[in-house]
Amino acid sequence: MGQRHTRMKKAILAAVAAGLAAFAPLSVVAQDAAPVAAPATTAAEAGRVEGAQTAPGPEALPGNLTPAEASAAPAGEGLYSPMAPTKGKGMPTAYEDDAIKSLTFQDQYSANGEYALWMHDAILLPVITIISLLVLGLLLYVAVRFNRRANPVASRTTHNTLIEVVWTIVPVIILVIIAVPSITLLARQYEPAPADAVTIKATGYQWYWGYSYPDHGDFEVVSNMLDEAEALKRGEPHQLAVDNRMVVPAGVPLRIQTTASDVIHAFAVPSLWFKMDAVPGRLNERMLTIKEPGVYYGQCSELCGARHAYMPIVVEALPPAQFAAWVRAQGGEMPGAGDAPAAPTAAPVEAGPSTGAAAAPETQPAT
Amino acid sequence: MATTAEGFDIHHGDGHHAHDHADHKPGFFARWFMSTNHKDIGTMYLIFAIIAGIVGGAISGIMRVELAEPGIQYLQWWAQFMGGGNDLNTALHMWNVFITAHGLIMVFFMVMPAMIGGFGNWFVPLMIGAPDMAFPRMNNVSFWLTVAGFFSLLFSLFVPGGTGPGAGTGWTVYAPLSTKGSVGPAVDFAIFSLHLAGAGSILGATNFITTIFNMRAPGMTLHKMPLFVWSVLVTAFLLLLALPVLAAAITMLLTDRNFGTTFFDPAGGGDPVLYQHLFWFFGHPEVYIMILPGFGMISQIVATFSRKPVFGYLGMAYAMVLIGVVGFIVWAHHMYTVGLDVNTKMYFTAATMVIAVPTGVKIFSWIATMWGGSLSFKSPMVWSLGFIFLFTVGGVTGVVLANGGIDDNLHDTYYVVAHFHYVLSMGAVFSMFAGFYYWFPKMSGRMHSELLSHIHFWTFFVGVNVIFFPQHFLGMQGMPRRYPDYAEAYHFWHQISTYGYYIMAGSMIFFFVNILYSLLAGKKAEANPWGEGATTLEWTLPSPPPYHQFETLPVITDANDYHDHRPATA
Amino acid sequence: MAGKVNHDYHILEPDIWPLVGSFSALTFTSGLVMYMHPDFFGNAAGFVMYAGLAGLIATFFMWFKNIVIEAQRGDHTPVVQLHMRYGMILFIASEVMFFVGWFWSFFDFALFPAPLTYDEATGLTTSLFGQESVAAVTFVPEGMQVLDPFSLPLLNTLILLCSGTTVTWAHHALIHGDREGLKQGLWATIALGVLFSAIQAYEYAGAPFGFGGNTYSSAFYMATGFHGFHVIVGTIFLAVCLYRAYLGHFTPRQHFGFEAAAWYWHFVDVVWLFLFVAVYVWGGWGAELH
Ligand code: HEA
Ligand code: HEA
Ligand code: CUA
Ligand SMILES: [Cu+2]
Repeated sequence: MGQRHTRMKKAILAAVAAGLAAFAPLSVVAQDAAPVAAPATTAAEAGRVEGAQTAPGPEALPGNLTPAEASAAPAGEGLYSPMAPTKGKGMPTAYEDDAIKSLTFQDQYSANGEYALWMHDAILLPVITIISLLVLGLLLYVAVRFNRRANPVASRTTHNTLIEVVWTIVPVIILVIIAVPSITLLARQYEPAPADAVTIKATGYQWYWGYSYPDHGDFEVVSNMLDEAEALKRGEPHQLAVDNRMVVPAGVPLRIQTTASDVIHAFAVPSLWFKMDAVPGRLNERMLTIKEPGVYYGQCSELCGARHAYMPIVVEALPPAQFAAWVRAQGGEMPGAGDAPAAPTAAPVEAGPSTGAAAAPETQPAT
Repeated sequence: MATTAEGFDIHHGDGHHAHDHADHKPGFFARWFMSTNHKDIGTMYLIFAIIAGIVGGAISGIMRVELAEPGIQYLQWWAQFMGGGNDLNTALHMWNVFITAHGLIMVFFMVMPAMIGGFGNWFVPLMIGAPDMAFPRMNNVSFWLTVAGFFSLLFSLFVPGGTGPGAGTGWTVYAPLSTKGSVGPAVDFAIFSLHLAGAGSILGATNFITTIFNMRAPGMTLHKMPLFVWSVLVTAFLLLLALPVLAAAITMLLTDRNFGTTFFDPAGGGDPVLYQHLFWFFGHPEVYIMILPGFGMISQIVATFSRKPVFGYLGMAYAMVLIGVVGFIVWAHHMYTVGLDVNTKMYFTAATMVIAVPTGVKIFSWIATMWGGSLSFKSPMVWSLGFIFLFTVGGVTGVVLANGGIDDNLHDTYYVVAHFHYVLSMGAVFSMFAGFYYWFPKMSGRMHSELLSHIHFWTFFVGVNVIFFPQHFLGMQGMPRRYPDYAEAYHFWHQISTYGYYIMAGSMIFFFVNILYSLLAGKKAEANPWGEGATTLEWTLPSPPPYHQFETLPVITDANDYHDHRPATA
Repeated sequence: MAGKVNHDYHILEPDIWPLVGSFSALTFTSGLVMYMHPDFFGNAAGFVMYAGLAGLIATFFMWFKNIVIEAQRGDHTPVVQLHMRYGMILFIASEVMFFVGWFWSFFDFALFPAPLTYDEATGLTTSLFGQESVAAVTFVPEGMQVLDPFSLPLLNTLILLCSGTTVTWAHHALIHGDREGLKQGLWATIALGVLFSAIQAYEYAGAPFGFGGNTYSSAFYMATGFHGFHVIVGTIFLAVCLYRAYLGHFTPRQHFGFEAAAWYWHFVDVVWLFLFVAVYVWGGWGAELH
């Protein structure tokens, strides 16, 4: 029998291959990586090109955005300038920057996100790892112990009620253990927003986002992707950066609504554990509270046609006071703050003044 | 396991003196274009599946090469090659066309034809001791409808479908992208492709169910039926009940597109989410359609090469039944982010996780089958071992996704892509290769090279793991699906994934060389090349079996019942 | 087929029609696509479509003709007849699931209606989605008239129920060797089936709302339309049986072709009952009647 020594070899090979499959990539060093997210440009530089507005529409290619157009935009009150992102926060991490971080979820900046991350890291991941390794271990064990040489005569056992009951009941128990936090998580995610939550309505268009603020005069911010050169110039990750961000207050409940005007899109921000489809003819709503100021990147997450990959989402959470300033800079008004008849006219900010030459220093954490 | 013919008289006439009659084959055209012979039809299905697999695999190669780097590399070229314009939108549309074609081809024209059409046709009649299928002529129409469906899908690639040629809707064909969002005939061709292939599969399902219920050899009760036959039976029921709902759904797409109905158009009160319900009511059973026959094959193979009957035969059979039944009530786990209400989401979370239990029963029963066995690691067996491990990995990530609250982050990311390639491109495909190597000697009468098939296994194993394991990382980091272009941070793991593709592609060479080698120069296969562990009826026939087998039906007696319910004996 | 075969199964000779039928189907569907996109394909569609259709009809004709010949020849042993029973039941099961799809969308629209207005003059529907203060939302859009269920639809219900009894009459006659009764029952059933289709066509022609445009009319026409198509198929099926009855086919003990037609007819009947109750009566409840 030619099987003799190959069996052991196979067992070892299996282990090696499994290890290889999982870890080989880790040992591959020195990729020809282009510098990730070039260091942030100065606040002044970043501010200079701010305020760009492309006319929304299918023909609005990211490449259309030239600084010339941008500077043509009228200057606003100058109280807002986009916050520079913090590397590794609210965005994916490259393997080259932090190998371990690149293997798992982004850090979470919402309470539900932290809970969900805990649930994954403390329950799901260990459980599935152990189950997979258990199965692998058992396979290797039988391969070694019960191969034809080690066990020339096969038993004829075909039943063992006890073990069958065990491998039915134990998974049930495991699943119940998973289900408890899972249901809790769902319940938390569906807590209704309090009456005074800040409403932001995100509308998906082919292929850009519009963010309107019904509580603040219902102006709409139109958000297009920046092209690569522009993004890198501003110190933002390309493919994720946009011209006009969805600005929200940090630390207060937000009522996020989504809908779409043409096909289904999905509003998704991984670092907030938030994803909600934007469906034409439907208004979806979910509460979200962002724990701290920051820039949180996301991307459209439902196939919506050619430029599905080119309609990123940037949520910029500001301290409430600065958020109020931003709202005013958009021509909106804070609820209850006088009754300046702002919004209706300012509606879609086709040429909205979201510019600010002077950067408010505290919104520019050093990178 | 299952039912053997040894120990009773099997009328050896089939192979020998019956040559004059049983092996009388029609001429070439009649044999291959007018076939009413389950083995020939099975062979055609297998060849078709291999061709489709090459096409679908090649498309995935185009995809992986494009994804190796951020930015758009080759899509522009492909757009022009396919007759589209030179602008970016056409290039990006090409991406959607590729993933759509890849998904549809792999699902409808590779896995399903191979497993049900190919192995099912070949071995269900053989294993139950039947001379052919119940409806031999309808069997042929099932096959040709599948081919027709494939053609329709190919047609779609060359006509406009939005911002370029081809249907770029994803294999799920979600409205309204597939209705208002895709102008031009391409999506209609794709829809009809599903109609045609679906009709073929429904007819095939009735054929299998009828055959299995009515054509078992005398003495073969349902509870003595080999598990592969059980798996095809359950699969056929899933097909029969799920596909018509898809047919209705895509017909609605068609009328919405062309005749002014508003099923999915909010302007007329329609609801895009309705389409998703209808699609996934089909789509989830569909994923079990793609894996259950694999389960069946693994059961046969593990028993054969352990020289031991399958452990817990009844549990194995009814686990599949349960998977099939529960598979019909979990569909909305694909729709966690559409805006379901919280109770619905909790229900679907719980119901989905239930499926892990019968699936676990299967995994552990396979291991228990090997336990105490006398294992030989022939090529079908190594693929089966690979299957068990990799399917488990894919299955447990399914359990992660099953949690509605967790899926909020993972939905439509590469984590999902990793999950379903572990269960499909490893689960289903590994079981197909296992089945292929298991039955190739029986089908062709030639032995394949064990060396080449082992090399194929190890390189393929490494390749696909390198492709798809890193995709979990990408998904957790937030990399969305169906993106031809991505942020720099995702570069590294995408690149690794593409390297994996090269390994896998190299590995497939061994597969094709092996087939060629064995057909041309392979050793002649005996009736039963796998030894005493191979106890099902096909091994009692010569390799290849006569053109018409079992002209006298075999009789199955209690003595052949290897999975009796008595307590274990030594 | 020689005397060596020791089983009762039906081993068939090679046959060209599966191939012809499949590619006719492909031709037909491709022709349909061309028909739906004249801007791209010009007016070549007609030819392709009709060629495909002709191939399909020829296939069905030849296929069933062959089955009948084989049946008459005695190839359909009891076990083969059992296969056919299974096949027919399973086929009907899949048809049931097909209608589940249409009812699913109907109930989705009816139970979770979207706010719409309907302009009777133009027949156009407008969505009120996103607008404030939409009052009570009804499934049949405000301003749209529906068919009175207790007029022609009720008559059609009675016609179909009646046809269910006449087909049973035919069956009993057949079982008791009463060939004249068989013919009469079949004639009556077919006549009722044709009458049903005619009334349905008349009703469509005079319906107060057009095809599509809103969910009510979409679901209404597609569900009742597919049902109507099944009625026509069932009628043809019964007509074939009638023809065969004149040819002297069927015996009191072997007449599965007839039984299959009858089953199919009952299935079509039951679908109608659901349509009548759900779509006509319940679905249009409270809406203005035509
Ligand atoms: C062969 C195909 C196949 C199979 C078998 C499965 C099996 C499972 N799948 Fe998968 N799935 C797909 C193919 C498949 N899937 C595809 C194609 C998609 C994407 C479609 C698209 O969007 O394009 C998808 C997507 C998908 C989603 C949606 C993700 C998203 O889009 O957001 C979910 C969510 O619940 C899911 C869950 C599951 C579960 C719980 C199982 C379970 O059946 C797995 C059960 C198996 C095990 C759990 C392992 C063995 C068990 C044990 C060893 C016992 C002990 C285990 C425990 C106690 C956990 N799948
Ligand atoms: C069975 C199903 C199946 C299989 C085998 C595969 C195989 C592969 N898939 Fe596929 N994939 C899907 C089903 C499948 N995929 C689906 C449904 C989608 C979603 C589409 C969508 O979003 O709409 C998808 C999407 C998808 C993506 C995501 C695209 C995106 O979201 O943008 C990627 C990216 O890497 C990918 C890659 C690959 C690769 C590299 C392989 C390689 O493993 C390919 C290697 C080739 C083979 C393994 C086939 C070999 C088999 C034969 C030659 C036949 C042998 C026959 C017999 C033995 C009889 N696939
Ligand atoms: Cu918008 Cu994808
Ligand atoms: Cu599923």
